[in-house]
Amino acid sequence: MGRTVGSKLGPLRAYLPLQIVVPVLATVAAIAVGLVIIASTGTPLEDALSAFWDGMAGDIFNIGASINRAISLGLVGLGFIFANRANLTNVGGEGQMAVGGMFATAMALHGAAGLPFGLAYLVPLAVGALAGAVWGGFAGVLKARRDTNEVISTLLLTFIALPLVYWSVQSFNLLRKPMSDVSSLPESPEIPDTTKLPLLLPEDQTSPLHVGLPLAILAVIVVALILQKSAFGLKLRAVGLNSIAARRAGIRSGSLIIVALAVSGALGGLAGAIMILGQQYYLTSSFSSGYGFDGLVVGLLSRGSAVGVVVGALLFGFLRSGSINMEISAHVPAAVVLICQGLIVIAIAASAILIDRRARR
Amino acid sequence: MTEDQLAVFLASSLRLAMPIIFASMGELLSERAGVLNLSLDGIMLMAAFGAALASWATGDAWFGLLAAVVIGLVIGVVQAVLSVNLRANQLVVGIGFNILALGATTFLYREIFGPLSRDTIPGFARLEFGWLASIPVIGPALSQQTGLAYLGLLLVIVTWALLKYTSFGLAVRAVGEDPRAADQAGISVARTRYLGVLYAAVLAALGGAFMSIADSNTFTEDMTKGAGYLAITAVIFGGWDPWRTLAACLLFGFATALQFLVPAMNLDIPVAVLLMLPYLLALFAIAGFVGKTRQPAALTLPFERGG
Amino acid sequence: MALLEITGLAKQFGPVVALDGVSLTVEAGEVHCLLGENGAGKSTLCNLIFGVHRPDAGAMAFAGRPFAPAGPADALRLGIAMVHQHFSLVPNMTVAENLMLGRADAVLRLGDALAGLERLAGEYGLRVDPHRVIEDLSVGERQRVEIIKCLLGNPRLLVLDEPTAVLQHEEIDALLGICRRLAENGKAVILVTHKLAEIAKVAARTTVLRQGRVVETVSMAGADMRALVRSMVGRDVKSADAVLAATIGIEGDGGAAGTAPAAGKPVNGRASPAQDTRVPALTIEGLTYRDADGVARLDAVSLVVKPGEIVGVAGVEGNGQTELGSILAGLTGPTSGSIAIGGKALAGATPREITAAGAGIVPEDRHAVAMVPDLSIAENLFLGMLSRFSRFGLLDRGRMSASAAELMREFDVRAPGPDLPMSSLSGGNQQKAVLARELSLPNMVFLLAAQPTRGLDVGAVEAVYGRIRSARERGLGVLLISSELDELIAVSDRIVVMYRGKVVGQMTSDPANKEAIGAMMSGHGHV
Repeated sequence: MGRTVGSKLGPLRAYLPLQIVVPVLATVAAIAVGLVIIASTGTPLEDALSAFWDGMAGDIFNIGASINRAISLGLVGLGFIFANRANLTNVGGEGQMAVGGMFATAMALHGAAGLPFGLAYLVPLAVGALAGAVWGGFAGVLKARRDTNEVISTLLLTFIALPLVYWSVQSFNLLRKPMSDVSSLPESPEIPDTTKLPLLLPEDQTSPLHVGLPLAILAVIVVALILQKSAFGLKLRAVGLNSIAARRAGIRSGSLIIVALAVSGALGGLAGAIMILGQQYYLTSSFSSGYGFDGLVVGLLSRGSAVGVVVGALLFGFLRSGSINMEISAHVPAAVVLICQGLIVIAIAASAILIDRRARR
Repeated sequence: MTEDQLAVFLASSLRLAMPIIFASMGELLSERAGVLNLSLDGIMLMAAFGAALASWATGDAWFGLLAAVVIGLVIGVVQAVLSVNLRANQLVVGIGFNILALGATTFLYREIFGPLSRDTIPGFARLEFGWLASIPVIGPALSQQTGLAYLGLLLVIVTWALLKYTSFGLAVRAVGEDPRAADQAGISVARTRYLGVLYAAVLAALGGAFMSIADSNTFTEDMTKGAGYLAITAVIFGGWDPWRTLAACLLFGFATALQFLVPAMNLDIPVAVLLMLPYLLALFAIAGFVGKTRQPAALTLPFERGG
Repeated sequence: MALLEITGLAKQFGPVVALDGVSLTVEAGEVHCLLGENGAGKSTLCNLIFGVHRPDAGAMAFAGRPFAPAGPADALRLGIAMVHQHFSLVPNMTVAENLMLGRADAVLRLGDALAGLERLAGEYGLRVDPHRVIEDLSVGERQRVEIIKCLLGNPRLLVLDEPTAVLQHEEIDALLGICRRLAENGKAVILVTHKLAEIAKVAARTTVLRQGRVVETVSMAGADMRALVRSMVGRDVKSADAVLAATIGIEGDGGAAGTAPAAGKPVNGRASPAQDTRVPALTIEGLTYRDADGVARLDAVSLVVKPGEIVGVAGVEGNGQTELGSILAGLTGPTSGSIAIGGKALAGATPREITAAGAGIVPEDRHAVAMVPDLSIAENLFLGMLSRFSRFGLLDRGRMSASAAELMREFDVRAPGPDLPMSSLSGGNQQKAVLARELSLPNMVFLLAAQPTRGLDVGAVEAVYGRIRSARERGLGVLLISSELDELIAVSDRIVVMYRGKVVGQMTSDPANKEAIGAMMSGHGHV
């Protein structure tokens, strides 16, 4: 039986609202659950909420910190939707961030500091992105050459990357800072000032916003253009939908798969590098602390849209900032926000069938 | 290494392997039916916490075990509804559950036990089999275990026999390989996958309970530390075969136990290498460099009749 | 009382009406054939009976009781078994495991399965090694396993959905024999086919479906075959429709098939091989392909297609034609041998290189190879030449759609617009779009058309033949691979026959050679 005439392009407008309504509803419901949980702890809701708000957006500093978090999440999310356009699922954002941060640190500590014209931080960023590209691209090579499922390989590569970072800050031969002080923590020395990302508002020392923001915005625009408007984006789609037909049409699907995962990994690596160079300034073994997985969730929830990634990244970035302050000032465990996040993810995953079914009509 | 040290090492290897043996046997069956549970880690964590809480509250480890099983069943049902009926993306659901589990257990632990609680939690006693212990080297490892450990080893045999000798096992394999063919042979794809997910969830829950009430008799935040992912890795490295998966779990147990031995024995092996070894091996296996490994063809693919 | 009684069954898939008020009865002890063109609703009807789909309206009764299966399990429980058009065996399991699948026992009983197999081997002559893995079996053997699987359950009604499409002549006869035997044993058989010859051999009654409706149900005793054809296609089959008459298998009916002396065939003898010095469109020499298990699927195949010539490749499916097509498309690398298109050596070349050499490829599996169903028509038409429409890597969609619309007009691809998904087109229009793309390449010298009319309705079939003939008029060499011998006879200039991976003979496409070609196809070759 032939397939139906249900056109996928025509009713695009008709189901767009549902794509927005569902995540908003899920978020509102999850926040309501979060409020109930907070209330159950006996903490007055006002205190908890005002602490949450302060942490999220209470002052210039906190807004900046939230946006900085969103940058890393968003870059990983962008990477996810990029590869996903070719129907590849890169769940290895965490590992790509880890190697990106690690190599960016190494570059910043050894060699980049003296470079002129901002190259002092641009080169480490590039090196971080390159490391992520290699990490993601390797999964692509396995997929293209040996038909290895990329979900499994990117996941495994993550759990290989994390011990590598641990190793690099444990070993004095690698990145660990020298045993000079009374206590030498397993972490790298602080990176030189010239390699730190310049603040966007240098005269106003209260905002931590750094040049990662314009870089991330640029990345969003470029990725959106590639996916929506370019020949390359169309080829990615074709390979993702039917790789044999794409090959028959002359597209080199193997190389395309490798490029897709390498670009995806590069965005993850860039996210890791920006975290170190823009915020943390030294490498610790758990510096990526789940940002990669959160970024993956941002990508998954955006349903392939770059705008969706921006919204999701901001949401998760602000939530994270708020929860940290809520724990510090109001003594409500930040874990409440994790609960909300988990619920949002599950609710949206559960309703995907609704959205898709509507889309098919 | 002396014989005593070796015996201790083997015993701790087996203990460390136990939770992932439980979880990987369940996951193996579920994956053979076509459902990947990335949520394994979350289930283990919730069950570990639930078991600790129930055991602490009642003073009886059996209630702890019961609580873990109930938690496993509940999560299993929710997850089966999501991935079978609603055909939700199995990866997203799994990650969602893991986030939720980390949040919920951390929150409840702090609220109930307080951040500094050092109360001991009643756990299962180790059984002593004199005759087993008298076997040189491996005797102590085999004999000084809790009853739960023997249950875990029994479940390996159960899983293997289920797959090989029962109609249910045949249905599981068919559903994971070619759900359309299975459906047309009169098998309920949904029912088979439900049972697969429930089996995985309950076994993962037992693995979690093993951590908190049979091994350490305590609960700590994020105490699974990725054991669920390790279990999934073991299934991959084991090529979806129960005995090879058991071997993978034991190997991973050795690698973990070796981490604690390295400083004591002044060995010059970076701990990081031991940490990443299981994943590295699994990566080699899945890339086809070690033997022939093929995943079930319908893994992670939802089934819709006539679709 | 009828064993199965169907009243007013209707089923719609999206906007497509597959069945529209179908009523019929099937008696115990009869072979009841369902006849109809592709898309007439035969498979849908079978799937409703077996519970794969649920009807939108109408009712069924089985053995006198209301029957509304929620799934195949319900149908099987009542004693209804079905062999599907596409195989439904688990490929990496053994024959025995597949036979045990879905049985009620808690523990697997290999002994029972083997005993059942033994019984059927005795009763129906169905033999197969129970320990072999399905994916290692030939198509015919798999079909046998399917049938054994059905018969093991001792069904009261057996539904066979186009089971003969993949079988060789003797196998078809054996299968039809089994159908007769089952009917004699008091069972009912529903046999779906579009081959009249088969119907004539076994059917007690035939129901003709057209566009989702029952045209008529006729008793086969003294039935007029011509009338059946008329019911099936909805008009008189004139002698000009030689091809049509041929594809539905009116064998030996000179009035329908014979009187159309290959319309548009070039005047023979205008270029005898000896003096033809033009560069051949396609030259294949010693082409061999061994699969992963080392079996030679193609064995030293050599053939030449000259410019302005249509060469047909005949053969029962599974004798290497698929591999030949796949290698010519650049999707499979040959083990050894050479291929040249327009004089350019291309063995092991990529699809891109093959396209660049001027070869248009209409592959056998349209959905899997020729198109990306979820992309738009325009995107499908130009996927291989996006650079023509892009600047700085960005696509000019407007220009692409305009060009697509033009091409669609030229090739009569009927669709509301070029930006609709390819999947929204009918099979015929999809194939026309594929032809549009593959025939508008630059510097063309060669066209491969593999099973180009499979699954198409009559109008589209004619359009495809027209395109293939006009490609020849343009001077292209055409290789036409088809499992329909009559189609080959009607369209090609000469025919090579493949059997077990080898070219076993060559003949002119004279209808008189049909018997001889058929003999070669089944391995009784006299060259």
